[in-house]
Amino acid sequence: MIGRSPVCPVQRYGSGLDGLVVGDTTISLIDGLSSRLLYRGYSVEDLVEHVTFEEVSHLVLFGELPDRSALEEWKGELIRWREPPQAAFDALHRVPFAAHPLAKYRTTLTVAACHVGDLDGAPSGIERRTPARILSWTAALAAAAIRHAEREAPLSPDPRLGFAGNFLYQALGRRPEADEERAFDASLIVQAEHGLHAAALAALIVSSTGADLGSAVLAGMGALSGVRHGAANQLAFEMLGKLEDADHARRWAREALARGHRFPGFGHRVYKCPDPRVRALEPWARRLLAAHGMDERWHTYLALREEVEAALGPRGIHANVDSITGLLYHPLGLPPGAFPIPFCLAIQTGWMAHCLEYAPDGPMISPGVVYVG
Amino acid sequence: MPEQVLHTLGDGFDWRLDHLQWPVTTDVAAGLRGVIAGATRVMWLDPSSGGLAYRGVPIETLAERPDFEAVSHLLITGEADDSPTAGRFRANLRASRTLPGEVTALLRSLGPGTHPTRALRAGVSALGCHELAEGEDLAGERHWRELRIVGQVVGLLTEVIRHRRSVGSAADDPGESLATGVLRALMGADPDPEDVRVLNLLWVLYAAHGVDAPTFASMVVASCLADPYYNIVAGLSALRGTRQGGASQTVMEQLLHRRDPADAERWVRRTLAAGGRIAGFGHPDYRMPDPRVVILRKAGAAMARRKNRGDLYEIARVTETAATRELAARDVHVNINFYGGLLFHLLGAEPELAPCLIAVARMAGLVALVHESLDTIRLYRPLSRYVGPPQRSLPGEAG
Repeated sequence: MIGRSPVCPVQRYGSGLDGLVVGDTTISLIDGLSSRLLYRGYSVEDLVEHVTFEEVSHLVLFGELPDRSALEEWKGELIRWREPPQAAFDALHRVPFAAHPLAKYRTTLTVAACHVGDLDGAPSGIERRTPARILSWTAALAAAAIRHAEREAPLSPDPRLGFAGNFLYQALGRRPEADEERAFDASLIVQAEHGLHAAALAALIVSSTGADLGSAVLAGMGALSGVRHGAANQLAFEMLGKLEDADHARRWAREALARGHRFPGFGHRVYKCPDPRVRALEPWARRLLAAHGMDERWHTYLALREEVEAALGPRGIHANVDSITGLLYHPLGLPPGAFPIPFCLAIQTGWMAHCLEYAPDGPMISPGVVYVG
Repeated sequence: MPEQVLHTLGDGFDWRLDHLQWPVTTDVAAGLRGVIAGATRVMWLDPSSGGLAYRGVPIETLAERPDFEAVSHLLITGEADDSPTAGRFRANLRASRTLPGEVTALLRSLGPGTHPTRALRAGVSALGCHELAEGEDLAGERHWRELRIVGQVVGLLTEVIRHRRSVGSAADDPGESLATGVLRALMGADPDPEDVRVLNLLWVLYAAHGVDAPTFASMVVASCLADPYYNIVAGLSALRGTRQGGASQTVMEQLLHRRDPADAERWVRRTLAAGGRIAGFGHPDYRMPDPRVVILRKAGAAMARRKNRGDLYEIARVTETAATRELAARDVHVNINFYGGLLFHLLGAEPELAPCLIAVARMAGLVALVHESLDTIRLYRPLSRYVGPPQRSLPGEAG
């Protein structure tokens, strides 16, 4: 977000700052009425079809898709940071095994941050090196946390693999098929930026204090770890897991609708129309599930989505991105507890972009609170 | 009934309402200035009059016989120190300083020169892994957990200090106050009662200050129903910022570089003429002197005399006067970090430790505000207006 006053100096808004337009941005357009999500002018559907996450992260962070040489340079920077400090990996062994995977992951990041020189903090860190380090360190540590949950040691990165492929390799311990890599990459692309959602706001607040980008990302991850936010894809998948087939899904959905159930992965504060990210990922989910002999789950999902949208669509409630990503991550072999992690890895790109956009002029964020005691 | 517009940025608005009914219509400026982020019973802050009160008690009253443990109890529970829960709360607060051995080991595995705000944050994160197992229901027990956090942060900080001083771990005496324990770690000796009083004073004044950036970051994270240690990690991340608690470090680094008052005066003039910043000046809320500064300036003078550091106090005073002369016309005034930083230093803290000492105090207000908000909180999700490039096709594609 650009650090200037909003265009409208007096505004009406609800609890949770619902409806408040806090300022301007050039990063993304989320058009919640006509199903559009644009990063710097490009639609996510187009990006998913034609480019990789490396290119999209460059676009979101720096404003333009890289040309050939800029891309090589950016990829090189990302590869250069694939090996976080050993102490961060060791931290996994210093916390109880039974702790929440996202809490363990957080601890590895806070320890890694202890090994960043202070020169890397704001404002000198606000350049390409820092976002690249954050993207690659977090991916390596997230993969290590996933492996750790299976009581496996971390794997060394493979410099021949791209961002998506290398993460899958380090997390799963096998080199992904081309389709798997493309599908996962697509999920990173559509989740790379999404305006001032709660996690981006948390990151922006932290960055507005003059703290380093890594600190901002930690706050964003905190928000994302909440069950109302990033963990929603896990909940949506678990809901689906309880349904045997399409018929069961339809029966259960009708019954649940009748008692006013709230479905995880459905409805969105901004989208009152079908979520364009769902549209972009569904073909990949369907293909991956079919390749892994899990067609049934695809039909179950579709049946549930159709039932829920038929009933609630007229009220603006549709499947959101959290309902679909689990259907990509499950056939890849990621455990449901790890589903929020790829979301973290992708969306932090957008948080950092908002922090970088805000930094030159933005004052410290500090709203008011009314005293009712 | 026509809806009332709350002119939150006007001079007359004092932030006390009978109740808050969403939606609201308010002034909105850059940095979310003027925006109402929520309602609270924890504290009242009126930047235009300089009023600050915790649970209805003005800070000037709380500063008379400063007791940070009692103020934590007041902020978190809303009960005065003579309430039946106070004794148990104080005992619990002190006992929660004890850390699991693995957390101590993690802190000790970091280089002793690690920035203490980062070490503290790593410790909080690791401690969260010990406090909560996967799949635990957070809703039921969070009240008590949030209360423990203040004591835990003190436990972590004392360990960080000892590690920096290459001193081995030591168990905190449960009969000893939080301030006494921290001062012993700082000075390596039994603290004098006046030092204990002044650290309590600093902590009382730093304990809560509306929805400032650390508290707001924490509230936003909490609104997603994250585990409480994630809220704290977010809050500590914001406190690190050079415009936030981190400024207390810069204040001391700047003052310690000045040879004498004349040098300080020259430096202020030179810095401001070159468009630079004097740390410890300016606050987003106040366009008048911060009321907490009045109390701390006096405490700073007395403490400097007691510690035979009149020279340092003179440098600070001259810096303040010279900077105020230049900045007051721009509505930029001295803030709490100026004399706060000086006092932490006089109490034995090197500049890097000052933000961590602030963090201890701020935990009380932060967990109180966050905890209170949990009953009514809704996911924070504002909007932004898109002013970027119009929709375009990918390079190389037709159309």
